[in-house]
Amino acid sequence: MKIIIKTLLLSTILLLSSCATIISGSRQNVEINSEPTSAKVYLNEIEVGTTPVQKSLKRNQEYRLVLKLDGYQTYETKLEKKFNAWYIGNIAFGGLIGIIIDPITGAIHKLKPEEVDGNLKKGTTYDTKGGKLFVKISMDIDPNSEKVGQLEKSE
Amino acid sequence: MKQITKILFLITVIGITSCSPKITSNFTNPQPKLSIDENVALLDIDNSLPENVVKVGELRFQDSMFSTDCSFNSLMNQARVEARKNGANIVKVINKKKPDLWSSCYRLKIELYKYDGDVSSLNQYELKLD
Repeated sequence: MKIIIKTLLLSTILLLSSCATIISGSRQNVEINSEPTSAKVYLNEIEVGTTPVQKSLKRNQEYRLVLKLDGYQTYETKLEKKFNAWYIGNIAFGGLIGIIIDPITGAIHKLKPEEVDGNLKKGTTYDTKGGKLFVKISMDIDPNSEKVGQLEKSE
Repeated sequence: MKQITKILFLITVIGITSCSPKITSNFTNPQPKLSIDENVALLDIDNSLPENVVKVGELRFQDSMFSTDCSFNSLMNQARVEARKNGANIVKVINKKKPDLWSSCYRLKIELYKYDGDVSSLNQYELKLD
């Protein structure tokens, strides 16, 4: 009986020790929004929809994010992988397995918009809630475009 | 106890820093850098090269033993970035090893070319998000 309890205890410790993988998972939900909306969103040059758009992205990869909208300048930045603090849980709780598993699953990382000299690209804001990344981009008007008219809704 | 701490620290450092594949490159004829708006064709083993291309260089993606970001799509995307930096608009896979018992990574040998024609008309691999 004691052996069963010890085995169960050991299994529980080992299973619960991959902190970041259990808490965060190997993928991260990312929501991309823009002002104005309806901009085409490209991740690694693949069109994924128009803003607002939500994707589940692998944490162990970096993504090049591009937004295109007629009359506005093309916006470009990177989603970089940064250190996920949940990984420290492995050290705090003695999870030797987790120290190996979390880097393999990619849970050791979390995605964040690129920063240059500690600053985000102009027009970019982001927030993280419950592990989900919300990125909002304010697009600049293209100075080379010219407004020729505007459609109005008829009553 | 100190020994264990050292080992844990080492594993942590390796885990954080060594998740990218090992890339070796050899650029014999670099061209002017391409802008992001210029297309780069990704040719898999089965896709044939057009005529009149100029070879720019070679890339080799290997498993660094701790690589995790090494899917085919991810490597092709990294190859495209390197191609643009060196003015190539064709990425041609010439040798492809799929993940197997010895490695969980794709291992690729790639040649980069500059083509003056329209690369979007070439029969090519369509990149996907993993």
